Amino acid sequence: MDFAQSESDDIIAETIGRFAADQLRPCLREFEAARSVSQAVRERYAALGFEALDLPEDAGGAGLGMVSRIRTNRLLAEADAGAALALDRFAPAVYVIEAFGGIAALKSFAAMLARPDTRFALIMDDGAGTSPGTRGEGEAAWVPAAQADVLVGLGPQGAWALQDGFAFEPVAGAALHAAGASRVRYAGTPIHVWHDPALAAWALAKIRLYYASLIWGVLCDAAGFSRSYALERVAFGKPIAHHQALAFLIVDMHVAVERVGLLIEDAARAVDAGDDRAVSASAAAFIDAVEASRFVGSNSVQILGGHGFMRDFPVEKAMRDARALGLLAGGVDAAREDAGAALTATIPVGVAA
Amino acid sequence: MNGFSPALCAHIARVREWGRAEVRPAGLEADRNGAPLPADHPYFAKYMGFRSEHLPALDDDAVPEGPAVRMVAFNEENAYWDRGMGVAAPGPGLPSRIVATSGTSDQRERFLGPFRGIDQPRWGSFALTEPGGGSDTAAFRTRATRTDRGYLLSGAKCFIGNAARADWVLVQANLDPEKGRAGQRAFFVEHGNRGMTGIKIEKKMGLRAYESVSFILEDCEVAHENILGGERSALTSWSGAYAKTMGTLNTTRVGVAASAVGMARSAYDEALGFAKASGAIRSARVCDRLEAMSRQLRAAWLMTLRAAWKADGKIPNIVDASMAKVFAAETAQELASAGMEIVGLEAGAGHRLIEKLFRDAKALNIVEGTGQIQRIIMGRSLVGLPR
Repeated sequence: MDFAQSESDDIIAETIGRFAADQLRPCLREFEAARSVSQAVRERYAALGFEALDLPEDAGGAGLGMVSRIRTNRLLAEADAGAALALDRFAPAVYVIEAFGGIAALKSFAAMLARPDTRFALIMDDGAGTSPGTRGEGEAAWVPAAQADVLVGLGPQGAWALQDGFAFEPVAGAALHAAGASRVRYAGTPIHVWHDPALAAWALAKIRLYYASLIWGVLCDAAGFSRSYALERVAFGKPIAHHQALAFLIVDMHVAVERVGLLIEDAARAVDAGDDRAVSASAAAFIDAVEASRFVGSNSVQILGGHGFMRDFPVEKAMRDARALGLLAGGVDAAREDAGAALTATIPVGVAA
Repeated sequence: MNGFSPALCAHIARVREWGRAEVRPAGLEADRNGAPLPADHPYFAKYMGFRSEHLPALDDDAVPEGPAVRMVAFNEENAYWDRGMGVAAPGPGLPSRIVATSGTSDQRERFLGPFRGIDQPRWGSFALTEPGGGSDTAAFRTRATRTDRGYLLSGAKCFIGNAARADWVLVQANLDPEKGRAGQRAFFVEHGNRGMTGIKIEKKMGLRAYESVSFILEDCEVAHENILGGERSALTSWSGAYAKTMGTLNTTRVGVAASAVGMARSAYDEALGFAKASGAIRSARVCDRLEAMSRQLRAAWLMTLRAAWKADGKIPNIVDASMAKVFAAETAQELASAGMEIVGLEAGAGHRLIEKLFRDAKALNIVEGTGQIQRIIMGRSLVGLPR
């Protein structure tokens, strides 16, 4: 197993890291209040050429795969997860289109993909794909987006795509405000309806990794910020990080974040390799990210004490963002169901694999 | 999907077959007996044959993985079948690397030479821990005094692996207490030395397959040439000699993590096998628990492998190694405990492997730096935790 980053990932990391630090982080609260990312920053991001990072090259993307995607998401979310969502106009909805319809389906959206303002949104719909030819109809209480041109629904049996017949209605939103927050009502005739549980599982695997990697980024920020604070804040004559109770907590938070990252990268490698275990590994990575977010998110606020509770510091936002991201992709209990289902076969772990 | 080369996979497959056929039964026998298998037990002679005939040293050209990754692969598989029997395996054991890197050429020949090309089992041992100090090496009280005839060692050591059956024990003692830790040196004490007394093989909760020995050193005399590294080096480079010995020990941390992963995998397989056979897996709660165990196991494996991969690539891995050690050890403990719950009263009856694993696994979070010590080491790197 090779844990090294490829040369192209190094270049992406450097570019994205700089962009996130210079363009997103300083505007964290501004974007949150505006419930969107400024047009200037959107244009700068588009100019970097990373918008369609993991779309196939035939569809106008960079074709870089899941490992590149999760590392990019981590860096963007470390600065602002809401902005990361706002800047990505395609994923993770296009994973569904690609999984079911392949390059032909993506090309059917070619004109839209080429437009600079087109946005795809994804919702989870348990009934998707169960009755081919019927209308897509229902409601999603919260989507971290302000609007979309194409709405994609995914369920365990299949998926659909709507180009009209849906409406985004603004809601308060618990977190990730830079991306917008909407209730979506839909009742339209899909332009595509697909039925294939295996492909649905594959698309969901990528979607789970997409959100898990955003959680990973938020947790990197929360753990890193609280650690830096603990080194500066003095109590009882020494930095609070040097009180063993906090030192051990900081260490355990670091371990939790590393653990999440390893599982996400492991699952992303499985996706890129087309490995059978990609589906269960992605579900496991998502669960782990959500569970770690409860530990790391809450304790990053705890380390800052009263300051952590205040909006002057970013950790309260990190705690909310991580929690909210864990509600997406169908939620953690659905992931547990899928990961648990894989246990009927022996899951290979370690050398015996 | 372990990503190992075919040559390493083949090597590990041989370890697996040996483990299934010989190591697991021998470990269970020792556990039932409540004591290590005697040194003349047929298992050990068989082991020597297996090592020489069926497990040749890996050819560097055929195996692209570095030595640390190979060690992780080997330790994980070995501990899956029985960690205690792994420690009990004949050979120079833990101190071999210390002697190889810090010993004089004469010492390497004299103390490691007898282990080469022989078919009779023999052991070496390393004595560091004392009754009053385990992780805190500054608290060690064993003293060495130079005389015209050699060195006199006085003190007590405890929990020393294979010390009663070893040809020699490499004993850590302080030659110059005023220098603190830097005064510590290692001395070869050969089997039968009359100054090594009160030898007691401890009765343990788990890992009963290998000797954990306590002994007293009463004016235990060793020759001048028995100081590790030789007098010229050991008596001049004060800080260097101690750091070198302890630095070698640091490399074993990842190996312990790998053993913990192997035990954790064993516990997981026991729990999963029982849940499937009993139908308990149909319970969503049991399924959830097994899923969480599987996930934790995979993370521990990846963490350990990455620490080894960094070591092989000469990438600094102090935090990674400690992280792997503490996380893998806690994983082994937690999976064995959760496995007990899944197996339920059958586990409580005391005849299942999972019950043995539960007793065995606890030690991994204690040996070679407790979980707390690992957190202190990480804390020093992450937040500059003062020494």
